[in-house]
This record gives sequence, C-alpha cells and structure tokens, in this order.
Amino acid sequence: MRYLLFFLRKQYIYFLFLALEGLSLLILFNNNDYQNSALAYISNGVAGSVLNLSSNVSDYFSLLRVNRILAEDNARLHSNRSEAFYKADTESFYHNDTLYKLEYRYISAKVINNSTNKRNNFIMLNKGHHQGIVNHMGVIMGDRIVGQVVSVSEHFCWVMSLLNKDSRISGKFKKNNQLVNIEWEGGNYLLGEVKEIPKHVLIQKGDTIITSGNSDIFPEGLLIGTIDHYTIAQEENFNYATIRFATDFNSLSFVEVLIDMMRKEKENLQNSFKSREQ
Amino acid sequence: MRIIFLKNIGRFVFLILFQVLILNTIQFNGYINPYFYIYFILLLPFETPPWLLLISSFLLGISLDIFTNTFGLNAAACVLIAFIRPFVITSISTGTEFMIGHSPSLKNQGIKWFAYYSIILVLVHHFTLFYLEIFRFTEFFQTLLRVLLSSLFTLLLVFIAEYLSYPEKK
Repeated sequence: MRYLLFFLRKQYIYFLFLALEGLSLLILFNNNDYQNSALAYISNGVAGSVLNLSSNVSDYFSLLRVNRILAEDNARLHSNRSEAFYKADTESFYHNDTLYKLEYRYISAKVINNSTNKRNNFIMLNKGHHQGIVNHMGVIMGDRIVGQVVSVSEHFCWVMSLLNKDSRISGKFKKNNQLVNIEWEGGNYLLGEVKEIPKHVLIQKGDTIITSGNSDIFPEGLLIGTIDHYTIAQEENFNYATIRFATDFNSLSFVEVLIDMMRKEKENLQNSFKSREQ
Repeated sequence: MRIIFLKNIGRFVFLILFQVLILNTIQFNGYINPYFYIYFILLLPFETPPWLLLISSFLLGISLDIFTNTFGLNAAACVLIAFIRPFVITSISTGTEFMIGHSPSLKNQGIKWFAYYSIILVLVHHFTLFYLEIFRFTEFFQTLLRVLLSSLFTLLLVFIAEYLSYPEKK
C-alpha cells in the first residue's frame, strides 16, 4: 500500500494528465448525441449572455441588410396574406377548421453567434425552453432551411447548421420528386454535396432541390439550393452533384424556429409501430 | 508572485474573449481558422508546477468549448500540449537562460529557441484539434491542409504579439 502511494506521488503528473485528457474525451464523445445535459444547460446560459452582449453591438453593422430582408419578407407575406390566414392563423383564437389544421407554428429568433469556418458549425439563437423550443426542431429563414436545434437552455439554444458533418438532409428534385441526400464536406460554405442520385435521373445545371418532408424535422417544399455542377460516374450506380445552398450562412441574422404541432401524434404513431414490429 | 498570477488570469480572460468575439468570426474559405488563445499556455512562467499547468490549460480549453458548443474538444488539445510543454522545454534548453518568474519569450530566449518552441506546441495543438473535430479519415489531406494553414496563421499572430509586447528600448 505504501509503495502504491509512493508510486502515485512520484508519477502523479502522468495520472493527472490521463485523468484530464480522459475527462475531455469522455465529454467530447458523450456529448455527440446532444442530450440536454445539465452541463449544456448551465454553460449555454453563460455563453449566451456574453455572446448576446457582443451581438447587440455587432447588430448595428448589419442593420441596413436586415431591414432590406425584413422588408422583402413583409412584402412576400402581404402578397399571400389571405391564403396564409385560412391555413395558419390560430395564434390569437382557436380556429376550429375541419379542412385545415395548424401543423407548424413559427417563432422568430435572433442569431447571436454563428460560424461558417469550422468543419462542424453551430448557431446560437436567443430563444429557449421558455419560448417552447425543444431538441430536434427545424430552423429556417423565410423558405430556406438553416438547421436543427440540438441543445436548449432556459433562454438560448444551439442549432446545428447544415454546415456540419453530422447534418444530413433528405431532399428531392423539384422537377420529378427523386429523393436525394444532401451533405456538407467542409471547405466552401456556399457549396454542398448531393449524394446518390439514381442513374436514370437527368441532372441539369440549375435544377432546384427542395426538402422531401420525409424527416420529422422539416416540412415538404423548403428550398435547399440549386445544382451547381455534376459528375456522371462511369463505374458506379449513382451520380454525384454539387449544390449551391439557397441560404447564405455567413449573413444570418433573423431566423424562424419551426414548432411542429403534430409532433406528439407522429411520435406516438412511430412508437406504437415500432413496438408492434418487435 | 501575486502580480504574475493576476497578469496570467487577465491574459486568460482577454485571450478567450479575443478568440470568441474576433478570431472565430474570421471567414477565409473554410481553411484558415487561427486558435490564438493557446498563447496563454505558451506564456505560462517556466517554474509553473506541472499540475497547475495541466489544470489551467484544461480550464482554458473548456472555457472556449463553452462558447463554441464543442465540449471537450479544445480541452483535450490544450491538456495535451500542457503535458508535452515541459518535455519540449527540456529538450531544447541549454540550461542557463531561465530566470525565476520569467515566461518564455522571444526577447529572453532568442528567435531560434522561441520559434522551435512555439511551432511544436501550435502544430501539436492544431493537429489534435482538427482531427478530433472531424474524427474520420476520409478527409485526411483536406484536414491536413487546414491544420497547416491555420497553424501558420496562429504562429503569425503569436510572433506579432511577441514583437508588440516587447518593444526595443533605445
């Protein structure tokens, strides 16, 4: 026993190194499924307040552009207001319509931290639990997709942007509904990869890719981007293309978080289906 | 002694804020991403006890992680370079140039010593950081390019900071 203690004292620095390094790697790899850990909850609050302060200053530099985007958004909304009214307005009163049932509600949020230069990019928003945000909600800007919520605290949340190695969006060609997957492989934040396009689909430059609605996160028909260039693979069964994102991730300032009103129902259905399979 | 302590704490806070608020927003085609905050570890005094070196580096890394939502990533890289720092110093020292209370610096140790010292630590840090971040081998060379370019930029900032903090007195 004494020898053990002596040994530990002599070599303590190695053990301390192994302990700290092990701890770091443990947090790193355990955090990858983005559970709402207590750690994330506290630290999000701290980081949020500092980043909020800095964003309050830097916001002034983008006012002109934000105003223009908001004005454009307003114009777009005004132009189809009657349609929007019948479909979605149950904010102020309960609209018991048997033909149209409200499926998505939008919460406007401000981007207070954003990056596009890392391999895995995250965006912080100034809305959290308090406003009803939970994990796996979709985030959009107008009719373009941005990412999904991965970590929430009382007043802030982190969004995994499309520019992340873990991000994988199910999309489809607008012209013929062929399903494809969209990923980002680092480097240029304007361009992404379209994987596994079946051989028989004719690809053209400028083809529009929209969300398929197959995932639980985004509804159908949101804009992802347009085909920039493509390669016809000779030996493989699939072709590949490069997509130019519709969203400019480097200039995000206001985004909307999608609240799926029928999420519970969908989850229940999925769970009951799964339990039946077993 | 207390002054050295306070000075280092101040440097800690300043470098974290500088990294989060300014350097993390630099956009250069996704390849250049300087991590200048490890300047803190480079500048800790020579006689810092190894345990303090490790723990303060861990705190430095985890503080940055909080701001970038990458728990453990920067901490792992920082602890590693804090661990190898004493070995790097003994491997290149001539044994006479250290004084109590002094930090490694360009002025005291000379450009050759300091360049060797900072290049090794920065490269090891960036290498660990970028490969842990991507954690797959399919983008090996692309990541290597990012490591080299970012290290170059970080070293540039380190040398600029060194020249700015020790103006020549004449």
